[in-house]
Amino acid sequence: MMDLIFFPWQLFVIFVGLAGVMAFVGLNGLLLVYLDRKIAGFIQRRVGPYEVGPQGILQPVADGLKLLGKQIFTPKGADPALYWLAPMISITPAIVVFIAIPFGPNLQVINTNVGLILILAFTGINVLALCLGGWASQNKYALLGAARDIAQSVAYEIPLLLSVLPIIFLTGTFNLFDIASGQGAWPWQWYILHQPVAFLIFFVCILAETNRSPFDLPEGESELTAGFHTDYSGMAFALFFLAEYSYMVIGSCLIATIFLGGFQGPIASGAWWFLAKVYILLLIMIWIRWTFPRLRFDQLLNICWKWMIPIAVVNLLVTLAVISL
Amino acid sequence: MSVSWLHVAIIVFFIQGLILFAIVPFLLSRLLAHRVKAHELKMPFECGMPPHGSAWMRFGINYYFYALLFLAFDVDVLYLFPVSTYYIDANQLVAFIKLLIFLLILFASVVFFWKKGVFTWPRKIKM
Repeated sequence: MMDLIFFPWQLFVIFVGLAGVMAFVGLNGLLLVYLDRKIAGFIQRRVGPYEVGPQGILQPVADGLKLLGKQIFTPKGADPALYWLAPMISITPAIVVFIAIPFGPNLQVINTNVGLILILAFTGINVLALCLGGWASQNKYALLGAARDIAQSVAYEIPLLLSVLPIIFLTGTFNLFDIASGQGAWPWQWYILHQPVAFLIFFVCILAETNRSPFDLPEGESELTAGFHTDYSGMAFALFFLAEYSYMVIGSCLIATIFLGGFQGPIASGAWWFLAKVYILLLIMIWIRWTFPRLRFDQLLNICWKWMIPIAVVNLLVTLAVISL
Repeated sequence: MSVSWLHVAIIVFFIQGLILFAIVPFLLSRLLAHRVKAHELKMPFECGMPPHGSAWMRFGINYYFYALLFLAFDVDVLYLFPVSTYYIDANQLVAFIKLLIFLLILFASVVFFWKKGVFTWPRKIKM
């Protein structure tokens, strides 16, 4: 809590951070689209994007420009206000969340002691956006996709919270910077070794919350055309995709901060270690996407209620017992 | 109430995110994109056929039941968040026993729903 009367040095930090975060989100979007398509190509024994630029590296820029040039229109019978609000609600919280993520020892917009709660709260808004988008576009596939997305996000929110809790019981803080710097530089000092079960559950829940394969039922192409964004075209579709990739990045940032030591590494701790960890996690997510088949919906919810929640509760109890005894 | 920099940051990030990542792309698209007026352009997609009836139909009440289940759980888990920050400094054994009771009651609800057969996804849940 600082007084606003003094020279607003913090305001300067906020605006520089804002510019940095926006560049980070935009570049990540472009890079992840490229990586996703290129890795999909290699896994399926194709070359992937190849024509635009060397090795097709400019393909996402071309995609973006193409989407910019597409006509945007409201489908007949749709609710126009909600229809256009949905992609905006989807992308905006993704920007806000980056306030609390510690990229490096001195590279954080605001070092706040409610960081983790802020991130969990703002990422929850995305569900609302997908719900509105699916409902407002007056399309049966979109509505089914939205219903599935809500059921899935709602179910996987609980093991997500339950697997974060052991770490907070261990550290006693929500401050992401403190959680990251509380771990040592070497891999055996990271919380992944204290809490391997929580790490696995958290990773699976992040996959489910960001609608990635094998949990991508809300946008299952083979049965729902494109799920909740069936009727979105052009820039609205692009915003939904940018939001999805941003939430993937946020999930990876959370995993890297909480379980993998954040910005700390054996030699020369800094933002590069953080980025390396985040990108390794993102590559694993892409690898999973092109390796595993999609689940059936009752399987998806049963895994959550019958396996993940009991295991998470037992893990939490064991952690509590170890702390207090 | 004093204004902290966190509030300022959240508001600035939210407004700028809304303008630069949501409104500007739509305005650019509005300027650059061609505009076609065709009769079937605005028809909702339904495998190429004219849509059959409205999409806004009714859902099974079962979904409401799962939403309630989630709500109960999520609120209970949220109670653990304030506890977690203080746990290390607390009187350990007493705190552990209290949390054990809380978590066992929470877990008993899963067992209850399991026994009720909620997780076999029946068409109708018997109360």
